[in-house]
Amino acid sequence: MRDLQLSLNQTQRVRLQVALQQLQDLASQAAAYSSVTIADTILVNNEDGILKGHGTSELDGQVVATLCGVVERVNKLVYVRALRARYKPEVGDIIVGRVIEIAFKRWRLEINFSQDAVLMLSSMNLPDGIQRRRTAVDELNMRSIFEENDVICAEVRGFQHDGSLHLQARSQKYGKLERGQLLTVPAYLVKRRKQHFHHLEQYGVDLILGCNGFVWVGEHLKTGEHDMLDDQEKRPEISKSNKIDEEEQERTFTPLEVRQHICGIANAVRLLSALGFILTVEAIKDTTEAGVSSNIEIKDMLGPEFYVQIVEREVQRRISLLRKKG
Amino acid sequence: MVGLSTGEKRFIHGGIAQDLRSDGRKRLHFRPFCVETGVIPQANGSARVRLGATDVIVSIKAELGKPSSFQPDKGKVAIFVDCSPTAAPEFEGRGGEELSSELSFALERCFLGGKTGAGAGIDLSSLIIVEGKVCWDLYIDGLVVSSDGNLLDALAAAIKVALSNTGIPKVNVDLGPSPDDQPEVDVSDEEFLQFDTSGVPVVVTLTKVGRHYIVDATLEEESQMSSAVSVSVNRHGHICGLTKRGGAGLDPSVILDMISVAKHVSQNLISVLDSEIAAAEANAKE
Repeated sequence: MRDLQLSLNQTQRVRLQVALQQLQDLASQAAAYSSVTIADTILVNNEDGILKGHGTSELDGQVVATLCGVVERVNKLVYVRALRARYKPEVGDIIVGRVIEIAFKRWRLEINFSQDAVLMLSSMNLPDGIQRRRTAVDELNMRSIFEENDVICAEVRGFQHDGSLHLQARSQKYGKLERGQLLTVPAYLVKRRKQHFHHLEQYGVDLILGCNGFVWVGEHLKTGEHDMLDDQEKRPEISKSNKIDEEEQERTFTPLEVRQHICGIANAVRLLSALGFILTVEAIKDTTEAGVSSNIEIKDMLGPEFYVQIVEREVQRRISLLRKKG
Repeated sequence: MVGLSTGEKRFIHGGIAQDLRSDGRKRLHFRPFCVETGVIPQANGSARVRLGATDVIVSIKAELGKPSSFQPDKGKVAIFVDCSPTAAPEFEGRGGEELSSELSFALERCFLGGKTGAGAGIDLSSLIIVEGKVCWDLYIDGLVVSSDGNLLDALAAAIKVALSNTGIPKVNVDLGPSPDDQPEVDVSDEEFLQFDTSGVPVVVTLTKVGRHYIVDATLEEESQMSSAVSVSVNRHGHICGLTKRGGAGLDPSVILDMISVAKHVSQNLISVLDSEIAAAEANAKE
């Protein structure tokens, strides 16, 4: 995600400085964690029984950090968790990826990781829904299920021996994503939660926060509509649509109201990722509502005034959170 | 540039048809400009313009030269654009050459007019020192640092800003005893004359996607275009240059319509750029 370039005028710059300073003060107040930079000593009580984990190393009898991050202690294990790490996949993660290549009985997906992920043909439901052995005909028809450059939602099934990922998309909620836009945010801004598929009813929009940093914002499709059978019927229409009237196409476009909500939510995601705030559904909904209530145009959500307003809102929210706790 | 799935392409087409693009802009809205002047202190004038994620830097150097024998009363200007590999991996080595030469040619067409120098946006006669013997050569170099569509508009805006930041050194001319002698020219280090940019045009690129045209396309929208027309318009609403890209044919009435839309958009763009230039100059003085 490229950062927003903003030209703030003098007042806005001052307000932004004040708000960022307040956020930093709140963070250091609330911090129960200890952050370290490279070569800081980590305090350990019992040197003998300590297991030195990732990001630490022994130097002159002392445990020293080799990463910039936060020290985590679990029983006898001490390790340093980096804040801005590359995406680190785990089994069960929900991922959004783009098909790069169709290889022998598998699709290769790009997922913002050091290696491409692999989705086997056998890990995918067939269009007719029957559970059967994949035949040679199925292999030849792989392109009718997913083509190159398609955006797909899947789950991590496991790791291959060389470190690349195996994905599976057997459930109805996984599959091809259409009618929306894909956004890229830094992967560390999406934390693992119970739910990654969010259906925002009041907007009629589907929001999928992929753990790898790909966020999909699109029109809501009922779970049956990811169904391959429908796609196969629609496909001959789509390939001819370049020649058919544009009016035919226009009838199938996303309705304007839903589109406005999609663009508003996408802009909220872009703004939050430029600010470096963790992406949660509540934060995104809050930002979108702030945009709607302050009556600004959707494109102005990426402007300097709204940027400063959102930082100030976050300051207020954290202050009220602290007050509730303490 | 990563590919787009069919679903995403239809979403983009739908957005443009319904006048609501992916980032909420209307068809004729520009992204916000971010302008800095004087980024290269060794050059006579320089500017950096950011238009969304598109980032371009322009530097202008003035050197003494001899005017061409066809136009002894005009100075010379050369425009050259370089696409840096930091913008896209395909620009490495000679990959960016085609795009660079296309952009350079289009900019020369927009700013310098025809081969005889008629209709130039930049006033070349202000660059002459001694007619027929000594003139200023302006070398305008553009560098594309990051590309997110609409490179031509960003480069043209950067050239306009850089020209307003350009200082041509004052010269003391010592004409020799006979008219055939080469005059001695003493270039002052201190005094500078600001270049006159009231006549410099801006470029507005209209990208046709489906049945509608959009201004300031992002890289994804540009990948869906059928054709694009870049019109360079000056302050008085006069057209200084016209370039068409893209393989699809356009009906002449469509081109005329695009020209009038470009004229309308350019007036707003000129006022936005002028205020950004003033703000950047004020910032630079602080």
